[in-house]
Amino acid sequence: MCWEAAEAARRHATRLRTAAPDRPQTGAVSSAVRAVGAPAAPRASVAGSVVRRVFAAETPEYFMLLGTTLFLLVFGLVMVLSSSSVESYLEEGDFFGVATRQGLYALIGLPVMLLAARAPLSFWRRWAWHAIGLGLLLQLLVVATPLGSGNGYNRNWIGIGSFSAQPSELVKLALVVWLARMLTERMHRLDDWRSLLPIAPVAGGAIFLVLLGNDLGTAVILIMIVFGAMFYAGVRLRYLLTAGLAVALAGMLAVVGSDSRRERIGAWLSGCPTVDADPQFCWQPVHGWEALAHGGVLGVGLGNSTAKWSWLPAADNDFIFAIIGEELGMVGTVLVLVLFAVLAISFVRVIRMNRDPFAKIATSVVMVWVIGQAFVNIGVVLGALPVLGVPLPLVSAGGSALLTTMAAIGIVLSFARRRPEPIAPLPPPAPVRRAR
Amino acid sequence: MRYPRRTGGRLALTVVLVALLVAGFVVRLVDVQIVRAAELVASADDTRTVTLTTYGSRGSIVASDGTVLAQSVDRFDITASPRQVDLDSTEVKKDGTWTKVPTTEAIAAIAQITGTPAADILTALTADPESQFAFLAQGVTLEVYRKVAALDIPWVYAQVHPSRSYPLGAVGGNLVGFLGTDGPQAGTEANEDSCLAATDGTTTYESSADGVRLPGTEVVDTAAQDGGTVRLTIDTDLQWYAQQVLDREARKLGAEWAVAMVVEVKTGRILTAADWPSVDPNDVNLVQDNAWGARSFSSPYEPGSIMKPVTVASELDAGVISPTEQWSVPWHYTNGLPGDHYIQDAWWHGTMPWTTAGILVNSSNVGLSQISEKMSAAERRDYLLKFGFNQGTEVDFWGESSGTVLPLDEVDAITNRTQGFGQGIAVTAAQMVSAYQTLGNHGVRLPLSLVDECDHPDGSVSEVPDREGTRVVSADAADTTVAMLEQVPTVVLDGVAIPGYRIAAKTGTAEVAEGGVYTDDRIISVAGLLPAEDPEYAVVVSFAKPDTIKTSAGAAPAFADLTKQIIKEFRIPPSTGSTPDIPLTW
Repeated sequence: MCWEAAEAARRHATRLRTAAPDRPQTGAVSSAVRAVGAPAAPRASVAGSVVRRVFAAETPEYFMLLGTTLFLLVFGLVMVLSSSSVESYLEEGDFFGVATRQGLYALIGLPVMLLAARAPLSFWRRWAWHAIGLGLLLQLLVVATPLGSGNGYNRNWIGIGSFSAQPSELVKLALVVWLARMLTERMHRLDDWRSLLPIAPVAGGAIFLVLLGNDLGTAVILIMIVFGAMFYAGVRLRYLLTAGLAVALAGMLAVVGSDSRRERIGAWLSGCPTVDADPQFCWQPVHGWEALAHGGVLGVGLGNSTAKWSWLPAADNDFIFAIIGEELGMVGTVLVLVLFAVLAISFVRVIRMNRDPFAKIATSVVMVWVIGQAFVNIGVVLGALPVLGVPLPLVSAGGSALLTTMAAIGIVLSFARRRPEPIAPLPPPAPVRRAR
Repeated sequence: MRYPRRTGGRLALTVVLVALLVAGFVVRLVDVQIVRAAELVASADDTRTVTLTTYGSRGSIVASDGTVLAQSVDRFDITASPRQVDLDSTEVKKDGTWTKVPTTEAIAAIAQITGTPAADILTALTADPESQFAFLAQGVTLEVYRKVAALDIPWVYAQVHPSRSYPLGAVGGNLVGFLGTDGPQAGTEANEDSCLAATDGTTTYESSADGVRLPGTEVVDTAAQDGGTVRLTIDTDLQWYAQQVLDREARKLGAEWAVAMVVEVKTGRILTAADWPSVDPNDVNLVQDNAWGARSFSSPYEPGSIMKPVTVASELDAGVISPTEQWSVPWHYTNGLPGDHYIQDAWWHGTMPWTTAGILVNSSNVGLSQISEKMSAAERRDYLLKFGFNQGTEVDFWGESSGTVLPLDEVDAITNRTQGFGQGIAVTAAQMVSAYQTLGNHGVRLPLSLVDECDHPDGSVSEVPDREGTRVVSADAADTTVAMLEQVPTVVLDGVAIPGYRIAAKTGTAEVAEGGVYTDDRIISVAGLLPAEDPEYAVVVSFAKPDTIKTSAGAAPAFADLTKQIIKEFRIPPSTGSTPDIPLTW
């Protein structure tokens, strides 16, 4: 089996070499090819070098992004175990139920991410339409068929047998590649607002379907993703502002049109001095702040949270940041902020180092998604935003979200593995490349 | 392909925006986690911290030998949820499997174990079929509870019911008292409540939203303190014996009530304070509520002739009479009495040439009246007060009476004489036995004590009684009086003398006044000291309103049995010396 894998890798490497002869051979790749080709090399070193070659990368951005992601992932697993144990026991009779599932998804997510990191750019471009189509279809099933289910407030789950997933997360992932493809194709006509119109029905449809499931938080993230994609693609600000005004107007109508949303916003505006200010919508933020306050600077210690004992709803999910603050104190919360800042810088560097607009736009969409969602989540916990119900990426419990986030970061990793040739002797835009 | 130049600036803007947002969040975190932390935590504590009251257990009451008279125990109430009851069939666990049986069968099983009639259980279950709670049996023991629990009837529950148990039942029941639902109701339970009562403690813990105690958050603010153990001076064997004797004799005499007290002369400790009827604190309703206390402390009566030694000792001490003083005593006496009032002895006799000792031993009312005339009413009253009359004893027992010695302005010429022989004065048995203790202790009265000490769980001791004595009469006056009393069993009172032992005793037959008028009813008593040469034990026995024998001879058997029991139990060696030969006549 080792031999087969090595043989396949060798063939692949050969293909890469022949397919891109203009790229300089890197040391890692060439040594791997040499090792495979050397008949005297022992089998162990053959296998080792294959792994090294398959997952090898030479840019600091790659490791910065991967390292931060893995740190957040492991940190998240620990915090999910701590914050979910009580509720998990109450609901399933097993303290480790939620955490075990989360760990399982992380184990699935790791190869998914690393495989995604191996995919060539053309792969993403080719499957973009399929991805968005599948995402929208599943989301349609959620809101329009009995396969969909929810928790009483939101309807955003699809259940097939004992398996359930959140298609809206898949929609986010699909939007990454689809928006990148759409905008890349229109790169030369970005200043003509009519060329952007085809984006509207698909993106708007996705947001509309999510809103049908009453999942305001995900809809907000989707809107941010769409706007972010256009922003970083270079669409004129006045187009964005116009569209933004339209969305804001629609948003206000949506808020005024729903009692529950109006109350939710009203509770947020009131500042929730106590739980009694609005027992329904102040409960969660106030208990979140109390948890943070309880943690103080150094925290009460891992596992010692009080709030997770049924006081703070969604302690392992939308409000996990509050539990981090309680158990690990300000040290923990600032660490999380720093990690997401590092992640943001990694994304920015990946965007800067890539020259292909597809890679740039896809990366910026992932950045808006992961960093934007993280900041919305933290903003909600800190009371800077009304309660929207979005999880903290990579940290919160939630299998679908974890898988798709890791896949998205995998996509970015695939753009970060290799630094393109120096920019100085910039070749003229090659029609070949556009056709690819 | 042309990639718009403006994106570079937008990325820079992104970095700035991220930095600003992170900075803003950190500021907000400082505000929540440091600046307002204390305030937020305080409000969280308000909702999460639960304060529990923990209960210590009430202390025991034990006799001087450690025998437990009262203790706290856990009992169980067997309860049911009528709403869950299907009157046709009930699923019970038999041999590990759930089987349907007729509900009547389940009820019968409970009835058999608890002793509650099956019909009562059925009534409890059907009275309000929608109710969630009904008592099937209350205050059952652990053993019964376990048997009921083993039935595995789904609608049967149980709750702990802290309870008080009185293992010796009626033995000392009047002294021990009992506990009602609102706390101590009588006796030592009420008297020594400050020693017995447990101090509640508080424990705080943090609770989850659904009431679970968070692990590791329990803090004991103040630990519950168990109550102390009250150690009574009571000798349970003698107490039991005295109650047996009273029960036997009181029934024989047809008395309304009876008391018997034994006090250690040299310490003032009450060894026995027996009452009849006696109450069983485990079920006080078996006797009438006027018997729930201790009559030995709470029921004053006119003592009659057992008061005479007190008068004689007082006048001897004052030096106004001598033991062999010569008196001419008629049986009927009107000297100095107003109107047609007279005083007479219990039997006819001619004018007798009695000495002081003769008057006392023959218990002449007329002679005592003549002796009384030697002392002013004020002086006599002072002596009575010094002997402890007209005031509660140091025991300060629950419901204790102070008796009555009339104030001087209410003492007329008749009372001035009758007080000397125990009429026109009301005393309790406790006061009377204390007076005999004084005479036996060579004129030094010791405070009466019922409690030796209170042992607290922390090892400290309180409630130690004061045993400091006060001289009431001179040793000579007291000893001479006791010596005179030694002749009572040998000369006038049959059935009290015990061969080999010198016993001082005095009888009393008091007329009982009702509504200010003396009736046919009597209170008959014998009071005494043994051994007479150096008294160790003071004994008083009184029977109220006997039917069959209305003279003090009726009380003699009880007194005799009690003294014999004292001799046996305390292994008193036979007396030394012989009865002093004080002449009774001249």
